[in-house]
Amino acid sequence: MIAAIKAPLIDWSALAPFTSLTVGAVVVLIAGLVGSARLRSWLVPGLALVTLAVTAVELLSRWNHPKVIVSEALRVDNLTVTLGLLCVGAAAFAVILSLRSDTEEGVGRGEYHSLLLFTTIGMLILIAANDLVTIFVGLELLSIPLYVLCATELRREHSLEAGLKYLIVGSVGSATLLYGLALIYGATGSTSLPKIGVAISDTGALTDPLLLAGMALAIAGLSFKASAAPFHQWTPDVYEGAPTPVTTFMATATKAAALGILLRILVGPLLPAVDDWAPVIAVIATLSIVVGNFGALGQDSLKRMLAWSSVAQVGYLLAGLVVATSLGIGALVFYLVVYAVMTLAAFAVVIENERTSDDGERLSGFAGLGRRRPWLAGAMTVSMLSLAGLPPTGGFIGKLAIINADASGGWMWLAIVLVLGSLVSLGYYLRVIATMWMTEGSAEKTPVVKQAREIVAVALLAAAVTIAAGVLPSWPLERAQDVGQTVISSR
Amino acid sequence: MTPLIFFIASIGAIAGAVGVIALRNPFYGVLSLVGHLLCLAALFLLLHAEFLAAAQVIVYAGGVMVLYVFVVAYVGGSGESLGASHGWLRILTPVFVGVLLLELMVATLGSGLKAIGTEGADIQASFGSPAEIGELLLTRFLFPFEVASLLLLVAAIGAVGLARRRSGFTVGDAPLDAAARSVSPPKGSGTMAEAAGDRPVFGGKVGDQ
Repeated sequence: MIAAIKAPLIDWSALAPFTSLTVGAVVVLIAGLVGSARLRSWLVPGLALVTLAVTAVELLSRWNHPKVIVSEALRVDNLTVTLGLLCVGAAAFAVILSLRSDTEEGVGRGEYHSLLLFTTIGMLILIAANDLVTIFVGLELLSIPLYVLCATELRREHSLEAGLKYLIVGSVGSATLLYGLALIYGATGSTSLPKIGVAISDTGALTDPLLLAGMALAIAGLSFKASAAPFHQWTPDVYEGAPTPVTTFMATATKAAALGILLRILVGPLLPAVDDWAPVIAVIATLSIVVGNFGALGQDSLKRMLAWSSVAQVGYLLAGLVVATSLGIGALVFYLVVYAVMTLAAFAVVIENERTSDDGERLSGFAGLGRRRPWLAGAMTVSMLSLAGLPPTGGFIGKLAIINADASGGWMWLAIVLVLGSLVSLGYYLRVIATMWMTEGSAEKTPVVKQAREIVAVALLAAAVTIAAGVLPSWPLERAQDVGQTVISSR
Repeated sequence: MTPLIFFIASIGAIAGAVGVIALRNPFYGVLSLVGHLLCLAALFLLLHAEFLAAAQVIVYAGGVMVLYVFVVAYVGGSGESLGASHGWLRILTPVFVGVLLLELMVATLGSGLKAIGTEGADIQASFGSPAEIGELLLTRFLFPFEVASLLLLVAAIGAVGLARRRSGFTVGDAPLDAAARSVSPPKGSGTMAEAAGDRPVFGGKVGDQ
C-alpha cells in the first residue's frame, strides 16, 4: 500500500498571478448575472480590468525572483513576467476595445469577459510551463475559450465560421503537439523540462529518431498556434471573421504565448539539439516571411491584410529564435512586445473605423480618413510605418536587433530574407497610408456615430509607445536582454 | 501469448482507425471507432495499466461513444456521404499523410526495435493502480489536475453561451431572418411537432406549409 501522501509545497505568493486571474474570471462570470443591464455594462468590464491590474502588479513583483513552483509544474521567471504582462495588457486592451461592442447580444457580457480572462490564464500557464503536461493543459486552456470567443457574434455567419474553422485547425495543432510531446517523453523518460534536458545531455538521446520526430511535431503544433507558414492557412479567415477586439487579442497575446513556450522548450531542454532544430525554424521563418508578405499584397480587407502581415511578423520573430543566444532571445522578446503594441494600434483604428463608417474594415473605408479624423489616421500611420520597420519607430529598432543577432549568429542569409521581406511589405503598408492621406473619401455622409474616445485613446497610446520604443530603445532593449540572459542561464 | 495479443490488438486498432476515415457511412464510422478504442484498451492492459484500460472502456467506448451514436442517429444517416474533397487537396493530402507516416515509422522503428528482445521496464505491483494514479494527480501533477477543472468550466460556459443563439444569422448588415429561418432542422430530428405530423417551418408558425 501507499504511505500517507505528502502534498507538494505551494508558494502562494509566486502562484498569485494565476490564482487572482482565476478568482477574477469566476467573479466576472457571476457579475454577469446581475439583473440590471446598465449596471452590468460597466460592472463586468470594470471587474475584469481590476482583475487584470491586480495580476499585472503581482507579475511585476516577481521580476528578478525566479522560482519553480507547485512540484515543478511552473517556472515564474523574467520571461514569464515579461510575456505574462504582455498577455495581461493585451487582455485589458481587448476589454477596453470591446466596451461598446454588443457582447450582450452574443454569448453575454459576463461569459465574454470571463472567457477572455480564462484564455489569459491559459497563456500565463503556457508561458510559465515547466512540464510537458502543464504545457498541454495550458495550451488547451488558451485555445478552448478562444474558439468560443471567435464565434461570439452569434448573429454573424462569418463569426461562427471563424470559430468552427479555428476549432478544427486548432484541434489538429493541439493533436500534433500532443503527439510530439508524447514522443519526447518516450525518448527521454520524463515530462519535466529540466529532466528532459538532463536526459538529452547525459544519455545522448540526441541521435534518437524518436526525439527528433517529437521535436518536429511539437514545433509544427506550436506553429499552428503562432500561425507561422506553412501552418497559417486558417489565419486570414479567422482574423476576418472573429469580432475585431478578439482578433486584436489573438494577434497579440496568442502569438506571444506560443512563441514564449516555443522559446522555453527549444532554448531550454532542447538547446543541445540546436543544430537540429535551428534549420527547421529558419525554414519556417523564411516561408512565413515570403508567404505572409506576398499574401498581404493584394488584400482589400484590412483585417485580412493584418492577418497576413502577422504571419510575416511571426517569420521575423522566429528569425530571432534561430539564434539561440541571449542576444537573439533579447531581440525576439523586444520585437514581440513592440509587435504587440503596434498591432494593437492598427486594430484599434480598424475597430473605430468599423464603428463609424459602413465599409470601415475595407481599404476603401479608409479613404480620406486623414482629413476626417487626423489623429486616428496618424496612429494608423505610425503603426504601419513601424510594422514595415521604418525609423523612428520601435519596429525599426526591433528588426535591427533581430538582424544584428542573425548576423552575429551566422545566419546572414536569414537577415537578408528579412530585409527583402520588409521591402515587399512596404507595398501594402504604404498603400494604407496613401489611401488615408492622399485620396478623397466618398462624399456621401455615412450615418454619424458618436466617436469612441477610449478606442481613439488606445490607438494614440499604442502609437506613442511605438514611437517611444523607437526613440529611446535602450531601456527596453536592456530589459529584453535580461530576459534572454535568464532563459539561457536557467537551463 | 503477450506478443500474440499485442499484434491482434494493434492490427485491430489500426483497422479501426482506418475504418473511421474510410467508411462513408457515419454510423459505421462510429462503430469502427468503438472497435479502435476497445483495441487500445487491450494495449493498455498489456502495458499493465489496468485502471486506464478499464477507464478507456467505460468512459470512451461506453459513455462518449453512446453520445456519438445518438448524435449520428439524430443528425446523420441521411445518405449524404462525408468527406468529398476535391481539387488539389485530393493529391496533396495523401502526400502529406504519407510523408508524416514515413517520418513516424522511421522514428518509432528506429528506437522501438531496440526494445524488442529485452526484458522491458521494471514494473512494481502497484503500478497503474487507481491509488498510484490518484497520488500522482495530487502530488506531482497537482497543478495540471486543478487546471483541468478550469477547462471543464470553460467548456461548460462556452457550450451554454453558444447554445443561446435565438434566431437566424445576419449576412453583411442586413438581418437574414427569412433566409436563415427557412433552414429547417434535418428530417427526423424527433421534434414533437414532427411526431404530430405537422412540422412547422423553422421559426415560422405551424400551418405555414
